[in-house]
Amino acid sequence: MLLLPQALVDGLLIGGIYITIAIGFSLAYGVMHIIDFAVGEWIMLGAFLGLYLSQWTQVEPLLLLPVVFVVFAVLGYLFQPVIHRVLSGKKGNPLLMALVFTFGLAIAFKGLGLTVFGFFSRSIPSAMAADSFTFVRGDFFVTIPVIRLIGLAYAIAVTLALSWILKRTDFGLAVQALAQNKEAAGLMGISAKRTNSWVYGIYVGISAMSGVLIGCMFSISAQMGGKYTVFSFFVVVLAGMGFLAGVPWAAFLLGMVQSFFLIYFDPGYTLLAVFIILYAVLLISPKGLFGKGV
Amino acid sequence: MKSAFAIMSWMLVALFLVLPQTAAAQRDYYKVGVITSLSGDLATGGNVTKRGYDLWAQTVNAAGGIEIDGRKYKVELVYGDAQSKPDQGASAAERLATQEKVDFVLGPYSSGVTLAAAPVLEKYKIPMITGSAESPMIWLQKFYYTFGTIPPVNYTGASPVETLAALDPPPKSAMILGSNDTFSKATAEAFQEAAKQAGIEIKKFNIVPAGQDLMSFMSVAKALKPDLVAFGGHDEELINLVKALLQINYTPKALLMHYGVTEPAFVEALAKNAEQVYGASVWTETVHAKGDYLWADAAAYAKDAEAAFKVPADYTQAGSTAAGIAFMAALGQIKAAPPLDEAEREALVKALEKLDIQTFYGRLKFAEEGQFYHANIGLSPLTVQIQGGKPVIVGPPSEAQSTPQYPMTPWEKR
Repeated sequence: MLLLPQALVDGLLIGGIYITIAIGFSLAYGVMHIIDFAVGEWIMLGAFLGLYLSQWTQVEPLLLLPVVFVVFAVLGYLFQPVIHRVLSGKKGNPLLMALVFTFGLAIAFKGLGLTVFGFFSRSIPSAMAADSFTFVRGDFFVTIPVIRLIGLAYAIAVTLALSWILKRTDFGLAVQALAQNKEAAGLMGISAKRTNSWVYGIYVGISAMSGVLIGCMFSISAQMGGKYTVFSFFVVVLAGMGFLAGVPWAAFLLGMVQSFFLIYFDPGYTLLAVFIILYAVLLISPKGLFGKGV
Repeated sequence: MKSAFAIMSWMLVALFLVLPQTAAAQRDYYKVGVITSLSGDLATGGNVTKRGYDLWAQTVNAAGGIEIDGRKYKVELVYGDAQSKPDQGASAAERLATQEKVDFVLGPYSSGVTLAAAPVLEKYKIPMITGSAESPMIWLQKFYYTFGTIPPVNYTGASPVETLAALDPPPKSAMILGSNDTFSKATAEAFQEAAKQAGIEIKKFNIVPAGQDLMSFMSVAKALKPDLVAFGGHDEELINLVKALLQINYTPKALLMHYGVTEPAFVEALAKNAEQVYGASVWTETVHAKGDYLWADAAAYAKDAEAAFKVPADYTQAGSTAAGIAFMAALGQIKAAPPLDEAEREALVKALEKLDIQTFYGRLKFAEEGQFYHANIGLSPLTVQIQGGKPVIVGPPSEAQSTPQYPMTPWEKR
């Protein structure tokens, strides 16, 4: 019981990390209908850019987030036409081909990472990583690590920013139109190719920024991508594929499950519990928690 | 015409089947299979073992090769990537045995992969020495063809707990956890057993999923306030545990891990926060070991390793190089030139069982019976602590090069 406040706070903070890794992934799926298995590798590449940039410039890595975003957004924008080419093929099953393509991309990026960054685990040194706030009342205490709080704030900020862009800007309306009906959007003068490039750029940029944050909280390595791909997939499926507004709630739910299992039950069964909840939700509501997925 | 074509085809097939055997029969070098994880979650350790094996092969070949009856035979390493997965390790063993027809094998990084590869090599009767697999389960299987240069964790794990228990005042309580893989679980169990023996109260013992975010679990540590937090895990997980303790702002009096703290990456990733973390090892570059093969002592090996790879050598790399030396010494004793046939491979196993040599890594002596069957029991378990950015031996007293720093300096005062 002493740890109840801490379990609740930890659940929120873990949920914040899940939002950061899944929100871009959900956006890309919602618009392009592509399951990008390389999401974890974009996170890994972003983390390493953050590491090298902070070492080179001696600047706090969190201040470099905008730089990492711009670099990877441009990369994603330039790279998207390749995926578009696979997706718009006339022969075979383009969706399946895109799936295989991103899977191959993930393996290629991982190999590239191993060659360029080496195989050792690294850590992004942030001045914020060791600070925390502790609140004590009697036997109860709550410790809030500053870096995790920043992660949660970042997750909420990105969610709100994406929500604003989608609802309040012409670009956002074009994105929504494309997500709903590609042909009709085209007839209204929306360029699917260019809009998708921007969406993919934004998604890659967000994922790369998340990588820097993750690197401040955990270790990073060229092999780190796989587990983040799995977790972002879990969150997005639970939220409802492509339903952006569901991502924070799904992420917080998974965060709470994980936190409570680690603290109150057997930690060995944490991932099993996460998977059982995912399975149960999909059994009752195959389109995610809110029934609004694709 | 059709039958002539068929005959030609069959002749070609027969030729292809015969050719490799002919090549093998004429081979004047040792073909050495290496199974290790060059990719996947365990790529760090896998590549460190590769460095150890490569350095052995380069040094042997630079000296002309392994001497048998006055003639020197070079060694050629053939790699099989286990991809950090036991099933891939078994496939690699199958390929090295049946297609590459290797003479002997330098074994995998990690116990899980070793446990999968060993039965395959038993089937093909190919000797293997693993340079880095430490689960006691491997040796309880009593694989006839499998040996290991690094002692199992239940042989070494007690050492740091005993060193801590001998402090004044000693830690009174502990929280012990291990990651859910063969080696890490065994490490946590070894810590648990040693703590019980030392009279340290165990407040919590858990096995956690590999790669788990441990911040919430460290909240439990903060509430229970154990003097000692002991963790069995691999390099990435060790770094994450220290970061979780930092974030939750709890500094135990002692933080104990195992071999992983001696990997240079641990100190590089954590810098000042790696200081005062305890570990167990059997080798550091400062250990007093005099060698009769290739390197005169630990320092000479460390110097060559640093020159070759530009990073300090750790126990994994040294243990892997020592695996090559063990084969070299045993081959010299049985005087078997390449390629080795089944009888010679059997003789090689017998020679390995009787081997008792001094190397830069320390004494190599494989157990011939009991729970450590075919594991190296020639070494003394050491307690190390990161001091001044390097692993320093702090126990047992007979080997100590510095005194243990206890309790740990709180994170915020570093």
